[in-house]
Amino acid sequence: MAKDKDVNMKCNSNDERLVDAEAGLVDRTVFTDQKIFEREITEVFGKSWLFVGHESQIPNSDDFFLSQAGRDAVVVTRDSDGEVQVLLNVCTHRGMPVCRYDQGNAKMFTCPYHGWTFSNKGDLTGLPLAKEGYCDRLDRKQWGLVKARVTCYYGSIWATFNDEVLPFEETLGDMTLMLRDFLQGPDGEDDGLEVVDGILKFEIHSNWKLGAENSAGDLYHDVSHNSVQRVGIALSGLRGRHAWNADKHTFKTLNVAYPEGGHAARVNLYDDEQREYHSQWSQIPEVDDYFREAHDARQKRLGEKGRLLNRGGIVFPSIAYNSANRWQITLAVPRSPGRTEMWKWYFVPKKAPQEVKDALRHYLLRYGGPSGMVEQDDIENWASAQVGAQSLAAQHLPMNYMLHMGEAKWAWPVPWLGEGAYVDEGVSEHAQRVFYQRWSEMMGHPVRSRGQEESK
Amino acid sequence: MNQDTTSAAERVGDTVNSEYIMLKEKIEHFFAYEGELLDERNFDAWLELFAEDARYWMPLARNVKHNDTEAEYTREQSDAAWFDEDKKTLLQRVMQLKGGDHWAEEPFSRTTHIITNIRIQSRSETDVTVKSRFIVYVNRREEEVRLFVGKRIDVLRITDHGFLVQKRSIFLDQSKLLFKNLTTFF
Ligand code: FES
Ligand SMILES: [Fe+2]
Repeated sequence: MAKDKDVNMKCNSNDERLVDAEAGLVDRTVFTDQKIFEREITEVFGKSWLFVGHESQIPNSDDFFLSQAGRDAVVVTRDSDGEVQVLLNVCTHRGMPVCRYDQGNAKMFTCPYHGWTFSNKGDLTGLPLAKEGYCDRLDRKQWGLVKARVTCYYGSIWATFNDEVLPFEETLGDMTLMLRDFLQGPDGEDDGLEVVDGILKFEIHSNWKLGAENSAGDLYHDVSHNSVQRVGIALSGLRGRHAWNADKHTFKTLNVAYPEGGHAARVNLYDDEQREYHSQWSQIPEVDDYFREAHDARQKRLGEKGRLLNRGGIVFPSIAYNSANRWQITLAVPRSPGRTEMWKWYFVPKKAPQEVKDALRHYLLRYGGPSGMVEQDDIENWASAQVGAQSLAAQHLPMNYMLHMGEAKWAWPVPWLGEGAYVDEGVSEHAQRVFYQRWSEMMGHPVRSRGQEESK
Repeated sequence: MNQDTTSAAERVGDTVNSEYIMLKEKIEHFFAYEGELLDERNFDAWLELFAEDARYWMPLARNVKHNDTEAEYTREQSDAAWFDEDKKTLLQRVMQLKGGDHWAEEPFSRTTHIITNIRIQSRSETDVTVKSRFIVYVNRREEEVRLFVGKRIDVLRITDHGFLVQKRSIFLDQSKLLFKNLTTFF
């Protein structure tokens, strides 16, 4: 095995770097080390805005569901005033979860241990033995449930328990373009999606970053999806897995990364701004009609930005979204260096006819998750890569992220992608390099200045 | 999960007669044969046991309040599910498995399907509804082991050539899937 000095990292670098984004190298221990994992929980997850759900899951007052903010379990409620609250699911008395139902409707949560009762705003309202035991001296204001800062963004709900994290949109930066686009209906109307009832929860034996970096923009792993390409699951009448494969217009494939926040998206950028609709659902004409109308409305509404087809990406650190007719959000819940829970939300356009919602739901269910014909092979890959991360004999050899190095450009080729957009075209590991650079920054490891891989 | 419509007599087995026993024997044989086809990876022959209009459905389970058990499983034809298939999409899955390039099942897992606790819930001239329990053991490559346990409700169509699965509902006893993939048929 090669012991090339150039790729040895921890062994011979002066600054203990785990990530060398400029050289496209990532030390294997970032996937396996318990101390690094604990640090990630506080430095990365603890200092980021995290997706916890969607407002359509709690349409009525007092509705609630359980979710995760990093490693912390939370209850997401719509309180009696209609406000969305994200409450830490930890009783302030002795730490029990105060809610143990995945979803429901409740004005309060009573802890099963000693009976402390909290309103769905998080206030401590019921205290057994308040008088006899605490002599009315316990300050209830101080002992309410821990409340997260909450931002609702076009229907999506985001939370952080950290007071110092910048406001949500500031942490997104120019990624707002992509996230907003994702949350729109196919007709380009804001807040156009609703959740399909039921969050898919499953467990993978991989580090959370393997899934995240894949979603950031790994366009290199096509061989993984041979089998589903061969069978064809899109309803376009063609082989392949994407409905948009049937679109005959020409486009560039771009990896758009936003180094400032570590976010990334992969998009098709069509050459033609006012392109007409090409049938993508020919097996169900009614669905095709819906998408044709939606396409026309979207082009009108978005103008030049209608050239963009947002295929998916991540909001740093671990919120993967997929769009382009398979709207889903996948959350990686970190449990240990080699164990991650995946939580998956499926979305359909709110205003679409039932027939369209049904067709999309079936497509989503066959596409993603542990029973999805596409994602089964992704999940297999991540678990297998974890085995390689644990190899003793390969410890000296960093993981390789060198694909298409030195080709990315700022806000190119379209300025409306934003000044913070650092773009590469085609098959590239550019988005992964940006992801690990941002991760490294948050972990407090020394990094070189951004954008050094830009070609002269 | 479903309302049990059986009478008290049926529950204690008083209605079990020779006709019932003969039918149950046939169903047991059918299920054993079906499981064997899957375990031998004879997916084409397995699929032939499904009616053209078959439905194959595995909802998600949720943790709900004791008086809200209606919401325990996601609703058919409107919510998310692990599987929500018809015969055409089952065929796609079989095609995917058979190509040698579906890496999550290449090489194939070794599986054993155990179907037990079979009870006929109702029958008519044309079909019979059967409740059962299943254990599916999966061993993949060297050490990867999955154990799926749950309940099944099958509607079997009675034809001149034997049974056809008209509808299969699979209720897994896990709300969070404790394994990475569901690459096996149930
Ligand atoms: S732990 Fe909740 S009331 Fe004691
Ligand atoms: Fe993939």
